[in-house]
Amino acid sequence: MSAVKNIVDAVRTGRVTAKRVVERTEELLRTTAAKGLNAALEWSPEYLGREASRVASRGSRGALAAVPVAVKDNIATLDLPTTCASRILDGYISPFEATAVKRLRDAGAFAACKANMDEFAMGSSTEYSAFGRVLHPEFPDRVPGGSSGGSAALVAAGVVPVALGSETGGSVRQPASFCGVVGLKPTYGRVSRHGLVSFGSSLDCISIFGQSVDDTARVLHVISGHDPLDATSADLPPAEIRAPRTDLKGITLGLPDEYFPADLHPGVKAALDGAIAAAQVLGATIKRVSLTHAKYTVPTYYIVNPAEAAANLARYDGVRYGKRDGGSQVDLRGLYRASRGTGFGPEVRRRILVGTYVLSAGYADAYYHQAMKMRTLIHRDFTDAFDGGVDFLLTPTTPTPAFKAGEKTDDPVTMYLADIFVAGASLAGLPAISIPAGRDEGLPIGMQLIGPAMSEPAMLAVSAAFESALDARKEVRG
Amino acid sequence: MSISREEVLHVAKLAELQVTDAEAKALAGQLDGIVRFVDQLRGAEVPAGTPEFTVGPARVTLREDAVAPIPLDRSPERMAPDWQDGFYVVPRLAHQEGES
Repeated sequence: MSAVKNIVDAVRTGRVTAKRVVERTEELLRTTAAKGLNAALEWSPEYLGREASRVASRGSRGALAAVPVAVKDNIATLDLPTTCASRILDGYISPFEATAVKRLRDAGAFAACKANMDEFAMGSSTEYSAFGRVLHPEFPDRVPGGSSGGSAALVAAGVVPVALGSETGGSVRQPASFCGVVGLKPTYGRVSRHGLVSFGSSLDCISIFGQSVDDTARVLHVISGHDPLDATSADLPPAEIRAPRTDLKGITLGLPDEYFPADLHPGVKAALDGAIAAAQVLGATIKRVSLTHAKYTVPTYYIVNPAEAAANLARYDGVRYGKRDGGSQVDLRGLYRASRGTGFGPEVRRRILVGTYVLSAGYADAYYHQAMKMRTLIHRDFTDAFDGGVDFLLTPTTPTPAFKAGEKTDDPVTMYLADIFVAGASLAGLPAISIPAGRDEGLPIGMQLIGPAMSEPAMLAVSAAFESALDARKEVRG
Repeated sequence: MSISREEVLHVAKLAELQVTDAEAKALAGQLDGIVRFVDQLRGAEVPAGTPEFTVGPARVTLREDAVAPIPLDRSPERMAPDWQDGFYVVPRLAHQEGES
């Protein structure tokens, strides 16, 4: 199944016009908005009308001709606001376009809408948006995951075949798992960060949601490749699209003991048991491995992430752009503090404070520098596994299926632990993908593959074999 | 360890973030929980000489050492909260002695 290929082929053969694809997208956005999903933030009939003319004028040219893409609201677009779902950037329109968005548009695609998210991408449930929480598309009392919950929900609801999200520590794979779609975090440096609003600069990656592995691979091919506007982008050509594998002969999959705890949710365990059995039938070799520093992943992540966030978000000061508050204050500091104090929501404020704390005099060695050394050890665990003959690690994406709204917002640490299986690849800068692996009591469950740096083409080909072998709608516990 | 309300207010000052006394009390509890959680890292065994992690390509491609205008689609004036005659307007930074 490839929704992207279907659209491109239909436009190319004249079965559907590009204008009709844009009109259909508008209808779907309206229907979804009426249901109260709250997944799309900015779009308008006038904007889509302009895009319809632009896309129609291109005809069927481009690898993604007339493909609608939802774009997370922390990725810069010229014709729609980029607010990061924050009051401090309410209505802000970027003066430049993200390289990933430019490449999508150059390939014939169009940005259907900006997608709702946790404010500044801080969260695991999309409950921390300043513009209201996003509902899970199938279970409205549950969360779609986060922080790219709007993008995930729009793909899962069939509004768009693909969407851009961003990952700092699992913010695409975790919602992909909760919503039953594919979510790929590329290797750090594979996709340009130019135009992605900075949060954790050593962790941030523009990432992709797709209704299928093929959809995801087609978007990665278009948006990847070196970009002189991002000094950390790898000097490599775009990621090639390989033919999907029909078997897994010659592939060794590592199962890290630490990712299969005794108290793993029974539905998640059953889904992973099914995935492992399918891999064996397809001819893969299964090998148990140990990532000995995995227990430090979440604490390391929640030191590095707030530290980088505190530094990056210092730029929101109410002077050059964004919200200004405290106009009656007599001094500049008062203006800074009032603008930031009222412009940022609760989780962003918490992370700025934690980040400032762990970087402050007397604590930086104990926390930040210790975390950066632990990051080296976590990365080494992964590379040791790959050097030991493992092609990809196979793990659960999340410890549980989608949880209920409000269940974790009162306890930040409990919310942070939702990232336990996804933060490691982010800390190590490695590519990882979540693929639907079945359902438990109707709730989607994802399996994760983690691979060596720049292994996306092979990882996607292997993912396609899992996609074919597993029935994503099947109840994993009978 | 325990994070006090006063520590929250001190860190908020460093972060240029307005936090009221009432908010500081609630934040002290939340931050205390987070710091206690990440504190487990302090006891972790890290071999001497372990370098701090650097991410990304081993070599970065530097652009040409030349100054070029940054192409912006919109002028800073259109984004600034307050702008006058080509300048960002901010509250006065200092007062002269004797001036009101």
